[in-house]
Amino acid sequence: MKRRDFLRIGGMGMCGVGTLDLIRAHAATGIAPRAKQMIVCWLGGGPPHLDMFDMKPETSEDYRGIFQPIDTRVPGLQVGELLPEMAKRADKYTVIRSVTTMNKPGDHAQAPLYWLTGNPRLTTGSDEFPMYGSVVNKLRPGPGDLPTFVVLDEIDVHTHNSLSRSFLGSAHSPFVMQPLKDKDAVTKMLTPQLELPAFARNADLLKLLDNRLRKDDSQDELITGLDQHQQTAFNLLRSPKLRQALDLSKESPESIARFTRNKPAKARYPIGDPLHFLLARRLIEAGVPIVHFNLGYWDWHGENFVAGKQQIPMFDAGLAALLDDLDERGLLDSTIVLALGEMGRKPKIDKPHETNAGRDHWDYAQFVIAAGGGFNRGCIVGGTDKLGEQVVDKFYKVESFGRTLYHLLGIDPDTVIPTPANRPVKLIAEEAPIIKEAIL
Amino acid sequence: MFRHLLFAAAIVLAGSWPAIAEDPSSPSYHRHVTALFGRLGCNGGTCHGSVKGQNGFQLSLFGADPVADHRRLLRDHGTRRLNFLAPEQSLLLIKGAGLVPHGGGSRFRVGSAEYNLLRNWIASGAIADDPVRSQLKTLLVQPASFRANIGESYPLKIEATFADGTTEDVTPYCSFESFDRSVATINGTGVVKAVGTGDAGLLVRYRDQPAATRVLVPHAGKTAMIDVQPKNFIDEHVLATLKQLNLSPAENCDDATFLRRVSLDIAGQLPSPQMVREFLNNNSPDKRAAIIEQLLVSPAHFDLWAMKFCDLLKGADFGVYADAFSKEHDAPRMQAWIRARLAENIPYDEFAERILTATSREGRSMEDYANEVVSLFEGYAPDRPDLDLYSRRKTLDLFWQRRGSDGVRGAMQVAHAFLGLRLECAQCHRHPNDNWQQEDLLDFANLFMRVRTVGFQGDNEKKFADAAVFFKKFNDEAKSLEADIKQRKEGDGKKLEEEAKVAKTKSDKLTPEIAKLEKSGTAAEEIANLRKELEAAKEVMARNEAYRQEVSKLDKRAKMLPEIARRLLQGECRLLPGGTPAKVTSTLGTRESKTARLLGETEPVSLSDDSDPRQLVVDWMRKPDNPYFARAIVNRVWAHYMGRGIIDPPDNLSAFNPASHPDLLNELCRGFIASRFDLRWLHRTILNSRTYQQSSLPADGSEGDRTHYASFAPRRLHAEVLLDALNTATGTSENMDMKYYHWPESVTTVQVPFAPRNAFVSFVLETYGRPQRNAAVQCDCERESDVSIFHVLLLANHPRVWEKIRDSNGRVAQLQKSMLDNDKKVEDLYLATVCRLPTEMERTACDKFLAESESVEQGLQNVLWCLINTREFLLQH
Repeated sequence: MKRRDFLRIGGMGMCGVGTLDLIRAHAATGIAPRAKQMIVCWLGGGPPHLDMFDMKPETSEDYRGIFQPIDTRVPGLQVGELLPEMAKRADKYTVIRSVTTMNKPGDHAQAPLYWLTGNPRLTTGSDEFPMYGSVVNKLRPGPGDLPTFVVLDEIDVHTHNSLSRSFLGSAHSPFVMQPLKDKDAVTKMLTPQLELPAFARNADLLKLLDNRLRKDDSQDELITGLDQHQQTAFNLLRSPKLRQALDLSKESPESIARFTRNKPAKARYPIGDPLHFLLARRLIEAGVPIVHFNLGYWDWHGENFVAGKQQIPMFDAGLAALLDDLDERGLLDSTIVLALGEMGRKPKIDKPHETNAGRDHWDYAQFVIAAGGGFNRGCIVGGTDKLGEQVVDKFYKVESFGRTLYHLLGIDPDTVIPTPANRPVKLIAEEAPIIKEAIL
Repeated sequence: MFRHLLFAAAIVLAGSWPAIAEDPSSPSYHRHVTALFGRLGCNGGTCHGSVKGQNGFQLSLFGADPVADHRRLLRDHGTRRLNFLAPEQSLLLIKGAGLVPHGGGSRFRVGSAEYNLLRNWIASGAIADDPVRSQLKTLLVQPASFRANIGESYPLKIEATFADGTTEDVTPYCSFESFDRSVATINGTGVVKAVGTGDAGLLVRYRDQPAATRVLVPHAGKTAMIDVQPKNFIDEHVLATLKQLNLSPAENCDDATFLRRVSLDIAGQLPSPQMVREFLNNNSPDKRAAIIEQLLVSPAHFDLWAMKFCDLLKGADFGVYADAFSKEHDAPRMQAWIRARLAENIPYDEFAERILTATSREGRSMEDYANEVVSLFEGYAPDRPDLDLYSRRKTLDLFWQRRGSDGVRGAMQVAHAFLGLRLECAQCHRHPNDNWQQEDLLDFANLFMRVRTVGFQGDNEKKFADAAVFFKKFNDEAKSLEADIKQRKEGDGKKLEEEAKVAKTKSDKLTPEIAKLEKSGTAAEEIANLRKELEAAKEVMARNEAYRQEVSKLDKRAKMLPEIARRLLQGECRLLPGGTPAKVTSTLGTRESKTARLLGETEPVSLSDDSDPRQLVVDWMRKPDNPYFARAIVNRVWAHYMGRGIIDPPDNLSAFNPASHPDLLNELCRGFIASRFDLRWLHRTILNSRTYQQSSLPADGSEGDRTHYASFAPRRLHAEVLLDALNTATGTSENMDMKYYHWPESVTTVQVPFAPRNAFVSFVLETYGRPQRNAAVQCDCERESDVSIFHVLLLANHPRVWEKIRDSNGRVAQLQKSMLDNDKKVEDLYLATVCRLPTEMERTACDKFLAESESVEQGLQNVLWCLINTREFLLQH
């Protein structure tokens, strides 16, 4: 760590931070990371835990719904019948059933922000905690010719990309791109708009012309910074890595089909695109540290079971193929793969006997699928009561979940960062134990 | 950039322990023990001072409540924390010494002075002595300022005088920090060491009380010592300090740099190529002063400062639907009002007064006010006539109609925007490095509790009978209008609709029939008859259309009237009867105050029932000896032109954030007040100084200086200014895609009141960091000034940037249509981007590049690309 960085992390004299924080800042990047990379498949809206990974077959029909449980490769773990592929791969991941927001803060406006930063926060205000990927970008950025934090499609279906801003500053915001759309400006911005030889000619001319304000570069942080960023940006543009990762024509039709085969032709709700699983894998292979994507819309107040039949098999095929691919390539052990939403869905079904049967919001129980990067294989953490309404075993707060992620990523969650107004804030403000049952 | 400077400040703790003055066998809880908790960092916000404490042990944040801390020490954990029988076994000691695992590590060694002091205190019963006797009267730091050569060290001595009249050397109980460790470091015993050229604030903290001092370290070794003459008093101050530091100022910047600099800084625009040529050819010795005068009265200057004030006053935070406010309606109105005042150049104290004492009615009758509101709503239409109407209002009631503009939050905003104070921390606790306590904020807030918008409440109609009359009137009108519309739609409307349907069928049939007959040469009479029929049908259709439009107009009005009614009853900013005391609730508890007091004053003020308490605030602000009001704006304007405040960050006018040039700041404030708060005087005075007009290339030996204005500090262009510059450079514009909201076509980015629908514009604004103008954020730092990879990538490779470069009506395309030779074309690109003529070397390089290009046009496009990707383009320099 350069001295300057050290000061920036730890040196917040203005607000009374002690040596302790300096020590912590020093340690911030000192832990050996178990996970080098991470994929977050965000199921925005809140997927129904009782229909997927927390089956309650003993409850009455107006709770358990129409989907039957099936056995998995892990004794004692059953999943919904629409998840046959994930059932076959249950020995690859951990199901956590005991982390919830407890409705503090609840709803779609705040709960996603809580889950994705490990802290209760609002979209604007003084404590704009950063997403995990932004922190990695600040403390442990990836290869110089790739973005460190990529968001595919958008961060969340309800709050869109408002979470990209944080007190780390816009330099650490994710690259939000939609490479599956032909006209996406950000994807284009990351792909050279000129043929490489022409780009090289331009870069050469620029070097000749950009010779002012250069008396002693090392003295001015702004100018040195700008030079460095230009270097990085041009490396990124020159490097074929990102372009190739986003180029799905390099993937065989059979391979693509594994991800898309269950994609419904017509759907009740926006379903997202399972190709994002594949893109995420390709980006991880290329070396991008953090990839996040929102997969469709899971806020099924109405037609929960109609939407379930359309969306769950698609999710099942996509996530299973992703886990297979990463494992085959030996990447799973160093890559966290998460699939979760901001809440569960209400165990008691609304209008259970109608086609419109839905499940309302439920902030007291949900599931998190966590694989790789130090998470256990074939493991269940925590449990809910008979009805799937309340956590009764190994309750953990969202802070614990966030701290566990940082722990695996080799970042001390107690690292203190000064906000732009120079208030010292920990990456995760509240004390909370890590979820030790979930990790190796 | 100032953010980086702040980060360079860091606490220095640990180190050896100086001799303890008092007999350590009888330590005082209030004078020594609590001070140690602060010195050792135990009660910091990320340690035991956190809301829930740490690991079961909680202390009040920064030792704000030593009595409660004592209670917790004694009560919690039975007697384990303090073990009177075996003091060495106390958790406080074994944890603090790191003998058992401690999240905070080892804070002192066994047998160290700290250890012994705490042990002796526990052994003698851990008694809390009388807190009143130990109240702090004064905290004296010596020396108050010091000049030290690089490598030299000197100790600080801190003396505390307590309420009982005793004085004690408390140096060993203090913590120390240097605001600029590249200038001076300070160790745990208070010994300062000069390490680099410059001057640095040093902060001392004893218990919860901070105190500040400064150290000045002159440059060692040879300096170029460029001989310059001061142009005004600013230069005298700046040059005097530079001389003390043995630093040389930079040369004057050249004319082209100067013109670009003032155009961007004063008007937020690049000068046109023609302006640059004219300026370079102008031989008048006063040409710099003349162009400054010209730019200071240019419309773009008002736009730029309207933008800055809208940032500061959070001018887009509307949207209380119940009270009929919206960003789309009201943000442009607030902007228009501010811009109009800047164009009039009203004195700044009056500007503040007309904002801070705004009422909706401004003493007029309810009827007059209601008419105004109706006209405003009617004016939300193409060309937005309401903007001009609103900008003619005397006062800016919209300031108080924003979200979160009242009560404690409102008081915080006023303090931030007009006094340059950050009171956010004081909502919950005293800021560790500042004076402000919760009661200061609450007492100040009590001046803002009574005049505000009415807000939505069930009994409004009873409480505000005058407004209720109009509320009812407009709602009734809406109802009867709706009935009328219904009747029209179902009666005449329906009938007409049906007739029109028939007529349409007829017309659809007749039109081709007539055409056919005409071709076949049928008798003219028959055709004429059919024509008549067609005309009649068309007339029916037209009548229906006119009727439909009339009804639709009525419909619109019927929807608007209840909004007007709501705004009149709920949205009016007025003196409210009664008023509730200011209150804050945080994780640290609830606190309330019933007294009203101005910030920094000791005596409360009394409020009368029928006058606006906010007037007291304004009267206090405009007093020549007010410590904040003039300073805040003077310092902010200075920071705008110089890249950093004389007090920096510019919105932190804390006594513990010392000014780099205190005398200069005082003289500027005096001059500003003497000019009767004339903002133009302030701009002009700063702009005409040689300090502002010097080169950004530092003189030899002065390269490291950041705080003493040895050279002009380069900085990144603001998001809006950058996009406008990009448009000018490429000869293109952006359609904001806001016609639906009645925005004019040709709005510049600086003029946008909130992020528009044009995706590229929004992306640029977001990427380069435009403030959200949201009341939740109270910090000038919201406008980011750093550089990131996004900034580079956007200019280098965004498809829209390339579209602009290649635009068929853009700069290169226009140049290609001209008769100029290639060298002149390159010259024009230089003038349009970096606003200067190319050097011989650059001409040769471009010439060669063009010769090797596929076509001249393509070559020029690439030259333009290069120029907008230079640092010279992205930076103000």
